[in-house]
Amino acid sequence: MTKEYGKWPESGWSSETIDWKKAKRVAAGIDIGTTSTQAAILCDGELFSYASVRNGASFKKAAASALSGAMGSTGLSQKDIHASAATGFGRKHAPFAGTLLDEVHCHAKGARFLFGPEVRTVVDMGAQSVKAIRLYDWDRVRDFMMNDKCATGFGRNVEIICDLLDVPITEIGAKSLEVDSEPEPVSTTCFTFALTETLGLFGEPEFRAAPLTLNEVYASYLFSVAWRVLGVVGKLQPLDVGDIKVYKELAFTGGLAKNPGITKRIESELQVTALESKYDPMLAGAIGAAILA
Amino acid sequence: MITAGIDMGLEYVKAVILKDGKVIGRGRGHSGGAARAANAEAAYDGALKSAGIAAGDIQKVVSTGIGKHDVTFAGACRTESVTAVKAARFLCPDATTVVDAGADETLISTIKDDGNPGEVAINQKCAAGIGLFLNYMADRLELSLEEMSAAAPAPAECRVSDGCVPFAELDALSLLNHDAAPAEIAGAVTLSAAARAASTINDITVPNLRSVVLCGGLAKNKAFVKALETLTDIAFHIPEDAEYAGAIGAALIAAS
Repeated sequence: MTKEYGKWPESGWSSETIDWKKAKRVAAGIDIGTTSTQAAILCDGELFSYASVRNGASFKKAAASALSGAMGSTGLSQKDIHASAATGFGRKHAPFAGTLLDEVHCHAKGARFLFGPEVRTVVDMGAQSVKAIRLYDWDRVRDFMMNDKCATGFGRNVEIICDLLDVPITEIGAKSLEVDSEPEPVSTTCFTFALTETLGLFGEPEFRAAPLTLNEVYASYLFSVAWRVLGVVGKLQPLDVGDIKVYKELAFTGGLAKNPGITKRIESELQVTALESKYDPMLAGAIGAAILA
Repeated sequence: MITAGIDMGLEYVKAVILKDGKVIGRGRGHSGGAARAANAEAAYDGALKSAGIAAGDIQKVVSTGIGKHDVTFAGACRTESVTAVKAARFLCPDATTVVDAGADETLISTIKDDGNPGEVAINQKCAAGIGLFLNYMADRLELSLEEMSAAAPAPAECRVSDGCVPFAELDALSLLNHDAAPAEIAGAVTLSAAARAASTINDITVPNLRSVVLCGGLAKNKAFVKALETLTDIAFHIPEDAEYAGAIGAALIAAS
């Protein structure tokens, strides 16, 4: 491939107002996913710095570079961190982490940090899996659901489509919303089916009145992804049966949370507006791990 | 007579120029989405340039491949099995069967004595995307395509699902998580891809295991070919222009 369209750029940030030297407690959290790794450092419960890196063949390398990315040029070193925890698919590859935590609690904690304490439903949409988490009013997980194995590869396959169709991953979502009417989704069962069907949408309109525009092709694909996410969310225990308001305080985390083509479609199906955060929603797992550390 | 064939695949578009039964120019590029028509033209221009002729000298252009309808300048389009069979006979005159293994599709066709397709089988929908899968696994494992091609068979404890790409990818990620060496995982994913291709090949009865031509992008992957040969007992003939076979077949049809 000549140019890569499907990858989110790596990022890093550190606060200019917080001095870590004055902090009583410095905690680090790292979320080693299947495809990317995020590290976050909290000083007395405030987000001090973070980094997000792409995984290669070695989870260990990704973990180390995410942590050093988060420490960056702040002068902070590993010995200054009082507590640390790791979560995610590759969590055991962070030897510096004091604790290993499960993803569900980390995302729940992280989402409440990023989106506010009113969050009741968290939908984490990562590269491979989707987790829907329902929380009590107080700080406890009530129920959670994960995707079936067959439906794996959520974000990863959006990346593949972006690479194949030469559309930047940062734009596919917005473009897919620029359609007059929502086209029928491609297969909502399996990503291999969806891929073959999407590529088959081009060309001569043998079975439809007019050829699909490119934006409609994106819409058709992203709708199928959103539909699969909805399938996971729908299996959650409702908080108050028979009341649509249950979904209202909803937060999206993970890489696909940055794709409006997915989030807007889920919102309109559930008739809710998701909460917003000033930080990157990919960080929820890492921040949650840092809080729980 | 000078003709051209364009093969618009899932991942790459290939173009060849054929003059009196000889390939005189080749061009290749990424297929893409919005710019497919333009990419086809760019590959075509590349082929014209390498042949050293102008577009005006071409008498007919025929397109094939999954995106054959996107080649706006083609005079006609032909289905993949027909072009694969034509190309196989052209590249290897005594071929009786052709296997085309590409980014998305695996196709097998016997060749009748008159040079037309006999029995044809295409992969089931579940088994699609093996070439693409191997490509992005290479990217993930930080191996070059040459290193993927040189991958040794993986040890018995290092295996991934040969059912479908999503399962295979998850299994590969789990192996990576358990500290398996990237080169061993490369061997495992190659074997799973070959197993899926082999199941398509087994859908038909191959008349002669010694006169089967293998073309398509995966023909360049030595590890894949070796695994496929072990699984099917076939000794493949791999022409030099294996990747351009579809385009050559289209150009041959344009000339006839």
